[in-house]
Amino acid sequence: MSAARRDVRITVNGRTYAVSVEPRLLLVDFLRHECGLTGTHVGCAHGVCGACTVVLDGASVRSCLTFAVQADNSEITTVEGLADGESLNALQRAFHENHALQCGYCTPGFLMSLTEFLRETPDPSEAEIRERLSGNLCRCTGYANIVRAVQAAVQEM
Amino acid sequence: MSTSDTATDAGTWVGRTVPRKEDQRLLRGFGTYIDDVPEPRGTLHLAMLRSPYAHARILSIDTSEAEALDGVVAVVTGADIAELIPPFAADYEKPGFKVSHRSALAPDTVRFVGDGVALVLAENAYIAEDALGLIFADYEPLPSVADVEDALKPDAPRIHADLDDNILIEGGNKTDGFDEVFEAADNILRERFRVNRVAGTAMEPRGCLAVYEKADDSVTLWTGTQVPHLLRVGIARYLGWSESQLRVVAPDVGGGFGPKMYLYPEELLTVAMARQYRSPVKWIEDRLEDFLTTFHARDHVYDVAVAYNNDGTVQAVEVDVLVNSGAYSNYPMGVNLEPFQGPLNMPGPYRFRQFAYTTKGVATNTCSTGAFRGVSAPCVTFAMEGMMDRIARHLGIDRVDVRRRNIVRPDEFPYVNVVNQLYVSGSYVECMDRALEIVDYENYLANQPPERLVDGKYRGIGIAVVTELGGQGAARYKARSLPDLPGFDTAHVELEPNGRILATTSFASQGQGHETTFAQIIADELGVSIGDITIRGGDTENSPFGTGTFASRGAVVAGGAVMRASGDLREKVKKFAAHLLEASADDIVLEDGHAHVQGVREMRVSLYEVARAAYGLTDSMQLPEGEEFGLEAIATYDPPASSISNACHVACVAVDAATGLVEVERYIVVHDCGRVVNPLLVKGQVQGGVAQGLGQALFEEVLYDSDGQLLSATLMDYLVPTALDVPTLEMEHIESPATDNIGGFKGAGEGGVIGALPAIACAVGDALVAFGGNVNRLPLRPDAVLELIEGGNGA
Repeated sequence: MSAARRDVRITVNGRTYAVSVEPRLLLVDFLRHECGLTGTHVGCAHGVCGACTVVLDGASVRSCLTFAVQADNSEITTVEGLADGESLNALQRAFHENHALQCGYCTPGFLMSLTEFLRETPDPSEAEIRERLSGNLCRCTGYANIVRAVQAAVQEM
Repeated sequence: MSTSDTATDAGTWVGRTVPRKEDQRLLRGFGTYIDDVPEPRGTLHLAMLRSPYAHARILSIDTSEAEALDGVVAVVTGADIAELIPPFAADYEKPGFKVSHRSALAPDTVRFVGDGVALVLAENAYIAEDALGLIFADYEPLPSVADVEDALKPDAPRIHADLDDNILIEGGNKTDGFDEVFEAADNILRERFRVNRVAGTAMEPRGCLAVYEKADDSVTLWTGTQVPHLLRVGIARYLGWSESQLRVVAPDVGGGFGPKMYLYPEELLTVAMARQYRSPVKWIEDRLEDFLTTFHARDHVYDVAVAYNNDGTVQAVEVDVLVNSGAYSNYPMGVNLEPFQGPLNMPGPYRFRQFAYTTKGVATNTCSTGAFRGVSAPCVTFAMEGMMDRIARHLGIDRVDVRRRNIVRPDEFPYVNVVNQLYVSGSYVECMDRALEIVDYENYLANQPPERLVDGKYRGIGIAVVTELGGQGAARYKARSLPDLPGFDTAHVELEPNGRILATTSFASQGQGHETTFAQIIADELGVSIGDITIRGGDTENSPFGTGTFASRGAVVAGGAVMRASGDLREKVKKFAAHLLEASADDIVLEDGHAHVQGVREMRVSLYEVARAAYGLTDSMQLPEGEEFGLEAIATYDPPASSISNACHVACVAVDAATGLVEVERYIVVHDCGRVVNPLLVKGQVQGGVAQGLGQALFEEVLYDSDGQLLSATLMDYLVPTALDVPTLEMEHIESPATDNIGGFKGAGEGGVIGALPAIACAVGDALVAFGGNVNRLPLRPDAVLELIEGGNGA
């Protein structure tokens, strides 16, 4: 079962991890177990729910469908990399103020998907926001407050 | 009664929109869900081998290859653990109930696809899963049955061979004089409603980590549960341990919704294996296992007959309920919940005085079904509101008038309905009128063409007047023969030596916002800011005993306990402050983190100073006469009855004539859950509940084929709503405080889903009225809608 391990060098939230991994190790397990960054969650492990979304070299990816070896020599941002010390960033703050999360399990995936989206689409319409949000599932909020939060964050950014 | 969107009284915390305290950690990725709890060194990872058959005899299990795999510590079968974990059963006295047993791992017979057959313990989760593929189990397939009506046939396969038939529970009742009233009515309308089986689909699947504590031969179980205290009672009972040998901790939980209020085999297995192997044992469910084994919900059939007069007044209602209970009854609810809650919720807001029901919970070769947001209420409300629309169509009376003639009127509170539910207060007519005003009902009707078709879309409007049963205490649970539900909850509130406040409750949270709402209640009682308060719960070691989180009981029951305990603490604080200020305790007011003498604000001490005195951290003795050291209070709360919230939901839908796709274009809720603790959070509950109801109404369905194979086992096959499907609700609150519980609160967790099923179903019925409009099953997926358009008939 255990194929030859591979050395990878992956930078996560500014810190570089040089480790040897099994080729089949999923990126999400690398982040959670090798880096101890448990803010990235597994919701379905088949690429539908988006809870595991991280930003890899600027693009949002499903870390449950990505192997750690595919991220070799890449830079990754996870939810732990969003806040500036004690201060939440504008998007996180807008989620807080608009009650855009309840259980919070899906929230990191939404934040990371939106991080890429708002960089590419700084002034989105509600339809564009909803289209983007449709790639992530939330079972608690019914999405309305997430839409409001994105709109509020856009105003502030 | 007041109509408002935000505060009740200015200056108080209860009633104010306050963003949540818990967000800070969750938004940073610092939440600790079950898979995030630090794994002790040497943790063994448990994986389950599950039955591929709906019903089969296990002939043999060859574990030798799996055991030989590097990294595998053990492979355990049902036969191996039969003595360690005896078969467990929901066991209670109720006429018509039969005890059925479930084994944590099936020793000889499997009863649904997903039933546990063997487990692997390995060094990591990857190896554990590899090893599953190396276990060779031989089965003799047995005839199986997945459909509830098929399971009732005399020649149906028997799910439990030791029982006479597949009926796990049955009952019924009829009011005195029912037959005469039923037959004397002008009209009788009969309809059969089928309600789809759904899956709770919390975004966080289940999981647990059992840590063996060598020092005292105990186990700490971390598990994603709604009911840590009830789990400890159940596990200790079934394993024959003392409760002090077991600590159950619910960390952050990624959505509960009902299915996480049960004891599952994996919890017993990880606990038992941790002690057996003197090692931490961890199991994390994947999404496939979640769909296979986390209890489903609904899958009900309702045969309804309504007797009504020509003026639209309902005289009598009769219902026969069939519930597909799945393969096993379960702790702590047995199979009692759904079959009996349907009839209990059936009258809803209506005043009819004659009611008859029969109900059955039936075993099949499918996953167990159990609580999911609203339990049976969304289903029976779908049926009752469907009947109201049919009565309106038959009589040519507007659907609003039919409802108006039947709902409980403002001058009738307190009202006791036909199934003895006490409605102390409510706003049934007011909510409906306001919702109709918001949607501009008259104008909507005036612009609606009779055939409903504009630009390729049939448009319709649906109205649902709903009640929501919440905040039940001991008396209700005992009356419902639920011995394993205590009904009360408990809070311990203390002023810490540094003057801050720590409250620990018997509750666990799955995203409801208790850290904020309970703090709001305490802040008002003690005159402090919510920033000075820490709320904890979910840990049997550090929190007082209580029932747990389900059935919209947070604000009413746990909130009531919090209010009582902080009220008791307030009186103690006053005595200490009075001593320090040389005043009378009766004259002390708590405000802004200080105690001052009424009318003399400068005569004050801070809570810090009070705490220092109470904990003996002072130069001299500051203990008032008759008082003991410390400042803490513990209180339980057991509400006398249920709290009944109410709402009116209005849905406006567009049905694509070519594709059958239903779009919800507008959705209005006017909602009354008594005194509102935090409007922001109540709105969030309603919006989220409507989203789940919309999912059940339009997409979601757990499907088994005739062999009991699950067909909807991924999130690509089981469709939960996305941001493209759920509109932003137009929402208002009306407050009719409960008059018979301490806080005036009523439950708010389930009304959203209860109203969404009927509102959306009735709206689609209205859109398709040219084809009969006879919506009597869910979900209304495009194929089902096209069937209504093409084959529509009936009433």
